[in-house]
Amino acid sequence: MSDAARGDADAAWAHVAAFTAEIPRLKWFAAVGTILAPAVIAAVERYVAALGLAPGPIAPVAGWREAAATAQRPDWSRDWWQAESACEQTLQRQGAARFGLQPLLAALTALAEAAAELQTPSASALAAAGVDAPALAKVAAGAAAQACHQRGLALLAGSETGRAFTAKFELFAAGHWPLGIVGGTCFVF
Amino acid sequence: MSAPAATPIKSVDALKAAPEEYRLAVRKIVRSHAVNELYGARVYDEPAIALAPTPYLKWLTCRIAMEEYGHHVRFRQLGEQMGIPESEMTPEGRKPLSIFEFPLKTWEEFCVVKLLADLAEIIQVEDLMKCSFMPLRNLAKVTMPEEIFHSQFGKDTCTELVKTEDGRKKVQAAIDHYFPMMPAFFGKTDSANNAVYRKYGIKQRTNEDMRADFLKRVRDLVEGHLKLKLPEVAEAA
Repeated sequence: MSDAARGDADAAWAHVAAFTAEIPRLKWFAAVGTILAPAVIAAVERYVAALGLAPGPIAPVAGWREAAATAQRPDWSRDWWQAESACEQTLQRQGAARFGLQPLLAALTALAEAAAELQTPSASALAAAGVDAPALAKVAAGAAAQACHQRGLALLAGSETGRAFTAKFELFAAGHWPLGIVGGTCFVF
Repeated sequence: MSAPAATPIKSVDALKAAPEEYRLAVRKIVRSHAVNELYGARVYDEPAIALAPTPYLKWLTCRIAMEEYGHHVRFRQLGEQMGIPESEMTPEGRKPLSIFEFPLKTWEEFCVVKLLADLAEIIQVEDLMKCSFMPLRNLAKVTMPEEIFHSQFGKDTCTELVKTEDGRKKVQAAIDHYFPMMPAFFGKTDSANNAVYRKYGIKQRTNEDMRADFLKRVRDLVEGHLKLKLPEVAEAA
């Protein structure tokens, strides 16, 4: 490995380590149900565009019950989920080519272990809203953990393909929960 | 039949002074849980994310997979403190349970696996909650709420699925496929290992007792609650 490549790899590991350390400090779900700020809408637009999907309406979701109902609607976009999955697979291939599969998986495992704690903020946010729904706390924690995994993949791959997950993670970091594309609209809680 | 109360062993350090037979018995249990929690997450929970029919269920399944993996981590950490080599606590180093040899193909199968296998796991963990080795007892208490949630998830999702004729058929087919493997989950009748576990209060119940308890509880769930048929199986493993 050349010095430049080694420096590049070291920087990627440092980014992932810093990101992993940042996970417990973020204000998870702190802005759910609030008005979507222009910066949030801009991040949603970048997220949808980076997935290669057509732009569409963006809508806020007012409460936890509505969020649960939205995530269970039958008209959710299979194209949206497939686009994310395809992006994940590409990033994993790129990351494995860059660092080797085992080191890549080890870094993602450390990240997943940090993200395993995200049920505490989701449960707290539900309790603060007066909603008793243990399963929904797990659903929200699962979505947040998935976003951490995807952001980690993007950092490790170090390619343009990861832009969608960088934008998606901005939404979580801003305290929101992007619920995906349902009935042609991108919903953000 | 319950085992007599045994002197509790309060820590991993105190384990060093326990009889070798006791130490080996505890190692077997910790190793088995570490291997099977990891393998179960890999072959059932992770693939089920793609099969789940809505984003809500995909994210919930993602969380369940993480919790099952978390159980592996907890058992592995205890195993490491006890000096068990890491290679013996992964499916690559130790053979997992035979139920894991059948790859998951449908969402209905996953829901049935949670219904059946997580109930079996609850029965095993209930027994460990009275274990004479306190670190294992404490670990059982920590993992139990999540095991209960996973089993309830299986019950809730199957309850929803059987509301349609197509769903009933698919859930019944999955029960027919997976249930016959379940009695073996509890180990052999007149097991020498189980006799050692009970001798030291590491476990409280015979394999036969736990299997009979499982069969009663699963019959209540499948025939009483879901109004489906439980296939006939040989109860003795």
